[in-house]
Amino acid sequence: RWCPRGLRLPYLLCASGDFVKVYSVSTEETLRLMGGHADLVTGIQLNPHNHMQLYSSSLDGTIKLWDFMDGIPIKTFTVGSKLLALYAPASAEDSVFVVIPKKDTFQLVSVKLAKGAGQDLEAKELSVVLDGVGASMKHIAFGREGEYVVSVKDVNLQVYFFKRKLLNRFSLSTLKTKGGDNNFSCVVCHPTEDCIATGHADGKIRLWRNFHHRKEYTYSTLHWHHDIVMDLAFSVEGTRLLSGGVESVLVQWHNESSCQKDFLPRLGSPIEYISMSSDGALCCTLHTDNRITIINSNLRFSRSIQGLIKSRDVKTGLVVDPRTKALVLNGEPGHLQFYSLQSDQQLFSLDIVQRQYIHQAGLKQSDLVKVAFSARGTWLATVEESEEVTDPELQLKLWFYNEETQSFKLNTRINSPHDNHITDMCFRDMNELEEDSLILVTTGRDCVFKVWVMVEDTDPEGNVSWSCDFVGSYHNYQATNCCFSEDGSLLAVSFEETVTVWDSLTWDLKCTFCHPPGNIRNICFGRQTCSKYLIGATDYGFLCCWNLLTCALEWSAHLNVVVLQPDPLSEHIAAVSWLSKESSLFVFKPNEPRPIYIQRNLCKEKILLAAFVPRDEPEIISSEKYYWLRRSQLFFLTDTQELMTLSTKSLEERLTPSSKQLAVEESLPVTPFSLLLGKHRRQQAQEDTELGKPVVHNKQEQASPAVKELLHTPAHVLPSASFLCTIFINSLLISKENKSAEEIADEVEVESEKAEDDSDEEDVTEMEQEDTSHTELLGEMTCKLSKSQEKELRKIRKTDYSWISAF
Amino acid sequence: STTWHPPPEVTRIMVNHRVEKAKRECVVWAIALLSSGTVVSADSFGRVQFWDWQQGTLAESHTVSSSAALSLAVSEKEDSIVVGTSTGATYQLQLLPVKLGGLEKRWVRTKPFQYHSHDVRAVAHSPSALISGGTTLVIRPLMEKVQKKGYDAVLRKFTFPHRRLVSCARKARLLLFQFSQHLELWRLGSTEETGKDGEVLPLCRMPEHLVQLKSKGPEHIYCSCVSPCGTWLGYSTASRFHLYRVRCDGDGVSLRKVPKVPKLLPPAYQLQFSADSDSLFVASARGSVHVLQLLEPGGCKLLHIACGCSEAVYLLAPSADGHWLAAVSGDWAIHVYNLKCFKHHCVVPTYNCAVSALAIHPSTNNLVIAYSDQQLVEFSIPEKQYTGWSRALQSRGLHRAWLERDSPITHITFNPKNPAHILLHDTYLLCVLDKSLPLPDDSTLLMNQSTLKQLPETARKRQLHAFKICKKFQPLLFMDLLDENCLVVVERPIMDFKTQLPMPVQQKKFGT
Repeated sequence: RWCPRGLRLPYLLCASGDFVKVYSVSTEETLRLMGGHADLVTGIQLNPHNHMQLYSSSLDGTIKLWDFMDGIPIKTFTVGSKLLALYAPASAEDSVFVVIPKKDTFQLVSVKLAKGAGQDLEAKELSVVLDGVGASMKHIAFGREGEYVVSVKDVNLQVYFFKRKLLNRFSLSTLKTKGGDNNFSCVVCHPTEDCIATGHADGKIRLWRNFHHRKEYTYSTLHWHHDIVMDLAFSVEGTRLLSGGVESVLVQWHNESSCQKDFLPRLGSPIEYISMSSDGALCCTLHTDNRITIINSNLRFSRSIQGLIKSRDVKTGLVVDPRTKALVLNGEPGHLQFYSLQSDQQLFSLDIVQRQYIHQAGLKQSDLVKVAFSARGTWLATVEESEEVTDPELQLKLWFYNEETQSFKLNTRINSPHDNHITDMCFRDMNELEEDSLILVTTGRDCVFKVWVMVEDTDPEGNVSWSCDFVGSYHNYQATNCCFSEDGSLLAVSFEETVTVWDSLTWDLKCTFCHPPGNIRNICFGRQTCSKYLIGATDYGFLCCWNLLTCALEWSAHLNVVVLQPDPLSEHIAAVSWLSKESSLFVFKPNEPRPIYIQRNLCKEKILLAAFVPRDEPEIISSEKYYWLRRSQLFFLTDTQELMTLSTKSLEERLTPSSKQLAVEESLPVTPFSLLLGKHRRQQAQEDTELGKPVVHNKQEQASPAVKELLHTPAHVLPSASFLCTIFINSLLISKENKSAEEIADEVEVESEKAEDDSDEEDVTEMEQEDTSHTELLGEMTCKLSKSQEKELRKIRKTDYSWISAF
Repeated sequence: STTWHPPPEVTRIMVNHRVEKAKRECVVWAIALLSSGTVVSADSFGRVQFWDWQQGTLAESHTVSSSAALSLAVSEKEDSIVVGTSTGATYQLQLLPVKLGGLEKRWVRTKPFQYHSHDVRAVAHSPSALISGGTTLVIRPLMEKVQKKGYDAVLRKFTFPHRRLVSCARKARLLLFQFSQHLELWRLGSTEETGKDGEVLPLCRMPEHLVQLKSKGPEHIYCSCVSPCGTWLGYSTASRFHLYRVRCDGDGVSLRKVPKVPKLLPPAYQLQFSADSDSLFVASARGSVHVLQLLEPGGCKLLHIACGCSEAVYLLAPSADGHWLAAVSGDWAIHVYNLKCFKHHCVVPTYNCAVSALAIHPSTNNLVIAYSDQQLVEFSIPEKQYTGWSRALQSRGLHRAWLERDSPITHITFNPKNPAHILLHDTYLLCVLDKSLPLPDDSTLLMNQSTLKQLPETARKRQLHAFKICKKFQPLLFMDLLDENCLVVVERPIMDFKTQLPMPVQQKKFGT
């Protein structure tokens, strides 16, 4: 959440989550990130008596005074109750006004800021100014020289005159005739005259005057907006009034006249807030898609500050552009945004739909729903569809990356590629192969999947275009997902309850898998050493792993998987589950039914999407627990469109003494997630030391040539697992024999040092036990293993025991 | 586009001072002068501008509308201005303090009102209401000035003028319709069948449009009349009076203009033929009534000029026996003349309200008068005093529902069968006033015809009262009794002519 109330050249201050951000107006850079509040920052106001200082209020019940030039907190005033909005009119000498909850309603109170020596002060001197106010910052405004305060709520407006202690209430009609809706949406006061401007739900702006008279008050109406007026702002002199709303047009009204107005159209997305700089030279608008636009006083677009654009709905999923390693997803309506994770900036926005977007509720417009890149990023496939539910207008577009212009150029447009919604789309992912063997597969609810190939045009220039090569179907079920194996030889397509595997050369149906009941939600092939496995998640909460060689179920686990995301650079697969209002992360290898990493309670929001973004260089990760994050970083997108990542940094911090770490934490810009994780870890560490469990350390298989060969041979050319098992185990046994006594002693030392770390791993198993007990309660088995697998496991256990007893 | 102060000094103010992008001509449609010496102008660019009349400089300019501002009125306190525009919207400008309690004041456009579909040609500002007129007349009370909620706080809308626009030749069964620029003469259809209440009877003779008479020049027709025998027809514009002889030969009708009509001092406010169609009474703006004698085959001569009224005469009522003539002047005085000896007979005691209709009873020579505040009186001309029934009515008072009607009585006529019946109508109702029945009081229902129908005979008799009201015909333009059995009613549905009106101003509407 952002609220830029107080723009001062050359800085733009903005509340963002638990932080206050300081931007440079000239370079759009984030200069400073001021953290310290324990909850959402709800209001920021420049100190009217010192413009280098800033007040901020938060839901954590404190008001902080900052020196934003240096980014240091000067004072913290503890109020006690949640603070929902903050106002600092210049007339109030040593007090500010805040909105606090009172039972079901909210009240505006003035807070006397105690003068004291210390940094942390109590501010308990509260006096109620107005009752029954709105909770939003936009519902209260202070008048000229702070003489009165205005509050709007529903259809009621109340004005309180401080000097005369007079409260006037005015009400508008609640009737909604002729499409009118008199509910107030925002209020501002004229800076030099006694005039109140209010915005309304039906797009009207009312300018109130003479409001000290209960009867002879009067107002005039300005009407341009067709939908709710989101915010209003007067210019410094009060001669101009700015208004904005869902139309994405900034309207400038001159001299309160409805006939003289200027527009700044096409701002991209609905306007949420408008703020004027104190010298009147600039104004900025904040948009619902998480973007700040800075506008000149002559109503010209100046620049915009944007990070990840919030789109209405991320339908495309999180896709990584192989070329730039940027995160690609829905951006502005009809656009594809390329978001650079390193710089927190938008690289560029590609207009896919290429149609004017009309900001109006209830209008059916086309939007981008699917996107896929070829392995090297030279081809981009996009699917757009209109919002009609029954008969969607579909378009499949293929874009080729033009090296000269450094942008994607439309190559082929296919109208109605399917008769119903397209559910999934993928390219055959082969780095080594020639360009002309590139294949695109789309699956649709019209019960078919289609294979698209490049064909050379007949014209002399030899351009290529795409056309349909093969149409496959299975028992007239809707096709829901598709994916290619790593080497591109196999294609898996899920048809409702069934997964079908097709040969990508001959398009023969090779085999089918299913795990009734429940439709297949996600499928993916294992990679590298695990490429003989196919993983699928079903609606009924099962995660299944099928062996492609034996065509049998390898293992299955009871887990409500929402996201299934394989790491393109390793054999790890991340699964995110959603159970009882919390998301949990499980990272596993398909060849092991036991996850290598579990993060319970990852966040309270539902995680909808995830993506592995390859690191430029493999990171040196000391802990085995995070070894899977060595080559790629995992990103999540929640249903509130917050982008999160798993950080390994907190682990390093955890190894340092706790007191020192606290200091570091305070000074370092830590993400909310890492804070959360840190807390969680500390708690667990304490628990674990109390339990004092015996340490079991599993030495990772070292670079034995036999193992290496085994792991790096593609799965489909390997002999069966039962054959390889003995070789594998034998290789482990050899390593044991080679160890010298010294080495063993060393290892023991290392073990004791890493006790904490290992106890974590122990914790993982413990949680796994929890999980089984949980599922048993539900009457389900966690793992369903085939008999041969059970045998294998028994074997491994036996050898394991003997191996430990040797110590 | 100039406005000026009366001579000897002339200050010229160029309103079209600013160079417009489109080189349209600026027309000042209305001006007003404030006591402070500020001239207010309303122009075709939709601006209301405030000028210093001595310097001729512009003080303030408010663009109230994108279309022309046509009319302008200032309140008595000079703190409020109402502006009418060509889109049918009216705007209020108020002189408001810039800072509460401060002395500096500024004109601010405040409330817009949209009660008209077309040009607002005239506006007026009363202490508690804004009055605007175009195709309709609207009185919009200013809620903040109205002390209590009630009759005064209600918005009122009038579509038709409170004047009689239809005249009827009873004997010839002709109707004359007065339009702004022409007259239409129609012959009524007839039926020979009879039926029950509410039944529509088949016509044996269709109504017939006999003739259309177009007025020459741009002037509007002010008043018109057809004689009871249907052979004479007269109308008057603002400058001229015309008299025609109507001849029916077979199916065709011919009009012949009567030559050498005596030159009257214009304009004539009302024309009225005598019951025997022998003479024509012309009410003039100068407060006199001219009596013209109509001569066969087609001529006329001035017989007498009845004087006595100090202001323009706007209503006339001759008696059926040709003995009396009642004339209402602009100061609301009713003068009664004796036509036999051309003598002023008497003056009806003046009431502080305008007379909206009057008529003389054919048998009793009682003058029945309807005032614009809905009061009714009966004045005996021979006895020069109010009748007993009228006094009883005054002492008892009229029903509240009757008094709170918006529309004044525009025509009064009598039932020849029953002398106790007085027939009255306004735009929304037709009333048979039966003097023989008891008067209603506020506790009873005024419009009780539908409830009476459902009651048994005995109960019905107990519930009967003097006002028998019919609201079947709306809007009702005219009603008259042709003979004992036949009543003619003229109804003019608003949609009939609203659809024929041109678009007020071509403008793009959002969402179309």
